[in-house]
Amino acid sequence: MKLFKLLSNKRLFILLFTLVLFIVVMGFSLGTRKALSWPENFLRDTTGFVQNVFYKPAGYVAGLFEDIGNLHDLAKENESLKITVAQYTRDKATYNFIQADNERLQKLLKFTQAQKEKYDYEYHIAQVVSLTTEPSNSSLVIDLGSKDGVKTNMSVISVEGLVGVISEVSNFTSTVKLMTMMDSNDPNSQPAIAATAIGKENSTFGMIQSYNQETKRLQMDKIPPGDPIAVGDTIVSSGIGGLYPRGLTIGTVDSVAVGEFGLTSTAIIKPKAEFEDWKQLIVVYTEERTE
Amino acid sequence: MNMRRRPFLILLLFLLFILQGTILPWLIPNVWEMRIIPNLVFIVILFITVYHHRHTALLLGLSFGMLHDVIFYGRIIGAHSFAMGLSAYLIGLIFQIPRAPLPLMMTVVLLGSLLGDSMLFAIYSVFNLNNEPYSWALLNHMLPTMLFHFAFALLLYIPLRRQLELLKKETRKEENI
Repeated sequence: MKLFKLLSNKRLFILLFTLVLFIVVMGFSLGTRKALSWPENFLRDTTGFVQNVFYKPAGYVAGLFEDIGNLHDLAKENESLKITVAQYTRDKATYNFIQADNERLQKLLKFTQAQKEKYDYEYHIAQVVSLTTEPSNSSLVIDLGSKDGVKTNMSVISVEGLVGVISEVSNFTSTVKLMTMMDSNDPNSQPAIAATAIGKENSTFGMIQSYNQETKRLQMDKIPPGDPIAVGDTIVSSGIGGLYPRGLTIGTVDSVAVGEFGLTSTAIIKPKAEFEDWKQLIVVYTEERTE
Repeated sequence: MNMRRRPFLILLLFLLFILQGTILPWLIPNVWEMRIIPNLVFIVILFITVYHHRHTALLLGLSFGMLHDVIFYGRIIGAHSFAMGLSAYLIGLIFQIPRAPLPLMMTVVLLGSLLGDSMLFAIYSVFNLNNEPYSWALLNHMLPTMLFHFAFALLLYIPLRRQLELLKKETRKEENI
């Protein structure tokens, strides 16, 4: 009797109805979506505008205090920067020679235009507008949108290395899903990154496809047997597949072990770009290729 | 003068939403940023559910949760909306006491914060989006967040309660007319 009374309760009915509705909405939004609906676009763009007004000034004020705190490290930083610049100028000369050589060889071998432009990326700077650090959904909002030519799955980098990929785009803002959200169980997760190690570009290969939040490490799978990958190597994206640009720093190898089935090895990688308060990030525009 | 308070309340919630995404990340030290997930809007909604009415809190929780979901759309839409709305309503169902004193309200904030975060965790677990065990999540971010919310609620207690009581008086007057 009491149970019937409970079931005829209007409120309970509404509650159950909304529960079902929510599960439908969540399930729907979980899959891949081509574009956002107009209410979402409107909400994101207006809120993004307001957030933009707040985030930047706050960043400048915080930056000022940080700068004052860092004053005594300045001399040391200056010295290390000078060394880096000297190295850079030396490398630049070699680089120019190699590039000229490369172009000449490409011409000799009759490379097509598409092949020549394969690694020409466009870099666009973006202002961070707001962020959330929730472990299951860390994302940040930047002020470039579809009007600026941003598309989903473009890589977003900071000066240190890869930060994440664009997950949703509205007209004037877009959401960046951090690399820490990479999860092979999630159907909507960013595609795995084909990676290689610096100095072993032609012999090392692996796919980075998940992040462990407990240990704060990335996992690189599918490393073929006999691969020369070793602890301490710097891992960069290899550009195979065309989705991720070539040469983005990802991290350093922490340990290498034989994988689940004993056929391939798995490397644990410490990400280079740690989470911090970013002011500006760089969106890498990869050329859309017809396949 | 009569109808001023309700739009003001919604504006305050919106402002808090903006603040927690823009200014708070700069104030919280980088080391703690992954562990404290401020949800100031939810705290104010908890105040509303205790001192005003749980239905208002339910509606506000649903709509501001949805706002959060849409703005920071990384994986699914509706998780925050559901968690905030339902936990505010449930808390209101138990604790809707217009004369609740400070200690009780603080207990509500702690409980509500834990309930909201746990509900979020449950939703993500249902959709297989997190691999970490609950105990890890509890220690890693739920407890620090609870403490942060506690401090924020202490700060807000006096002004917010006064405003909510005035709001209640207003609505009562309207009903009498």
